[in-house]
Amino acid sequence: MFLAWQEIKRNKLRFILITGILMLVSYLVFFLSGLATGLASLNREAVDKWEASAIILTDDSDKSLYQSFMSVDLLKEINAEKTAVIGQLNAIASNKDKKQNIALFGINKEEFLMPNVIEGRAFENANEVIANDSLKDEGFNLGDQLSLSSSDQTLTIVGFTDDARFNAAPVLYANLSTYHQVKFGEMADQNKDQINGIVIQDDSILNLSLNDELETIEIESFIENLPGYTEQKLTLNFMIYFLFGISSIILAIFLYVLTVQKISMFGVMKAQGISSSYLSWSVVAQTLILAFIGTAVGFIITLISGTFLPAAVPVSFDLTLMIIYGLILMVVATAGAVFSVLTIVRIDPLKAIGG
Amino acid sequence: MTVLELHQVKMSFGSGNKTVHALKETNFLANQGELIAIIGPSGSGKSTFLTIVGGLLSPTSGKVVINGQNLTALNEKERSQIRLKEIGFVLQASNLVPFLSVANQLNLLDKVKKGNMSKKERDQLYEDLGIADLLMKYPSDLSGGQRQRVAIAKALYSNPSIILADEPTASLDSERAYEVMELLKEVTTQKKTTTIVVTHDIRLVDYCDKVYKMTDGVLTEIEKDKKSPQIAGEYSHLS
Repeated sequence: MFLAWQEIKRNKLRFILITGILMLVSYLVFFLSGLATGLASLNREAVDKWEASAIILTDDSDKSLYQSFMSVDLLKEINAEKTAVIGQLNAIASNKDKKQNIALFGINKEEFLMPNVIEGRAFENANEVIANDSLKDEGFNLGDQLSLSSSDQTLTIVGFTDDARFNAAPVLYANLSTYHQVKFGEMADQNKDQINGIVIQDDSILNLSLNDELETIEIESFIENLPGYTEQKLTLNFMIYFLFGISSIILAIFLYVLTVQKISMFGVMKAQGISSSYLSWSVVAQTLILAFIGTAVGFIITLISGTFLPAAVPVSFDLTLMIIYGLILMVVATAGAVFSVLTIVRIDPLKAIGG
Repeated sequence: MTVLELHQVKMSFGSGNKTVHALKETNFLANQGELIAIIGPSGSGKSTFLTIVGGLLSPTSGKVVINGQNLTALNEKERSQIRLKEIGFVLQASNLVPFLSVANQLNLLDKVKKGNMSKKERDQLYEDLGIADLLMKYPSDLSGGQRQRVAIAKALYSNPSIILADEPTASLDSERAYEVMELLKEVTTQKKTTTIVVTHDIRLVDYCDKVYKMTDGVLTEIEKDKKSPQIAGEYSHLS
């Protein structure tokens, strides 16, 4: 550590440049992880809000809530701790000034899918809805009358809840009869037993016996099958994993070049009896110091720049994940020192004194 | 007291018709407090001799004994420990670490050798070598002579029994070269080390107690009283 730190102190500019590159890579990693978390939240936060174990959909719906149709009577066949029915449709809501993609959830008020209300009140009557508060940023307010693209029904916002987006669309919560009115219009009465799925809060979900037309899907699996969710997540994660590799390679090249420049010096030191392990540890320690400083600065800059981003940017920083990524960056950066260590081990002290 | 012994040491490189005998059968003894010069032209085997004595190279045959320990019977790690404890190196240009201040050059050895020298002893060493006022300077701030003084201080760290100097004056002007040799003479006497200087600068042999010449891998001692004229005659082309 002594040798490593003394060299950094003496050659500040050189090491600031290396640390700067690491800082930029870590900034990119942290920012991408924030973007991945933010985009994932856009898709799943309404589902996370259920705190459910599983959802029952029809087998032929291919795990899509929107494509699943079943009768509410099936609820009687399900023996689980807690159940809640859900009807869902997508539409474009307009308050005359603004238009916005929304997901409408038809639920029973007394079941656990009922969201917390942070402003206004819960729905009580037909055509009343609780909206996700992100709609406020889009110009929607309490009392707004919403017309829907696929229906002649008009909905009224009576309350707001938080963290309720489904597949990137803000959710409107209404009672089941409102959902039926919106979905089926004049045919609502004939379809009043129709729902899209049944959500379950029961850890022993695998023990549920269902008929062949239904499928129990664990919530995580349901989320992964949301349209575009897995593809988006994989793309961003691949970018992060590539950045891990790139940071390791960049540091390996820099350290190798620095080590090659010092071969003669290391040779003399080895001739003097300083062991290869001491010199190798010095390079590894130097890498750790650089990686720690670069990652820490990248971490801080990410958090600072996050505060200046407009609300429209879907970034959400998961500190635990960022710390894990930071540690991985330090590990892969240290792995980049392996070539330098091998070089040091192979240095022949004989050559250093011209033998 | 005998510090270094070479018994029938030979060193060859290559095999068959391409075998090069860098060092032919060599017997050599060096006592405590002796300053010994090994002179000879380039390629004569001086450096091979020095690397074998320094435990950096194992001879093809024969035995190297330092303070009663047979160096040739040890593995690389054990030889490395012997180098660390028993041998100090002073090399041609400078063996200083460019990014360490003079004080830290020795602090590094202190960390590696686990504090073999007290602060008082270290301060005394700085005084003896005239580098006490250079401690905060870096090698690039020092003159050639000052760098070699610091290199000698490093070599003397933790009181080695042998100092091996490979062309220690090669990069210095005459005045600085004499200064360095005087210093080596002084530390050899005061610290009772055995100092072996490999050089082709015959002006320096007057400082030495014994002089050997190396010719085509054969080491021969030159009589002390005759060394300067004899050497001057034989190696005039080198000076």
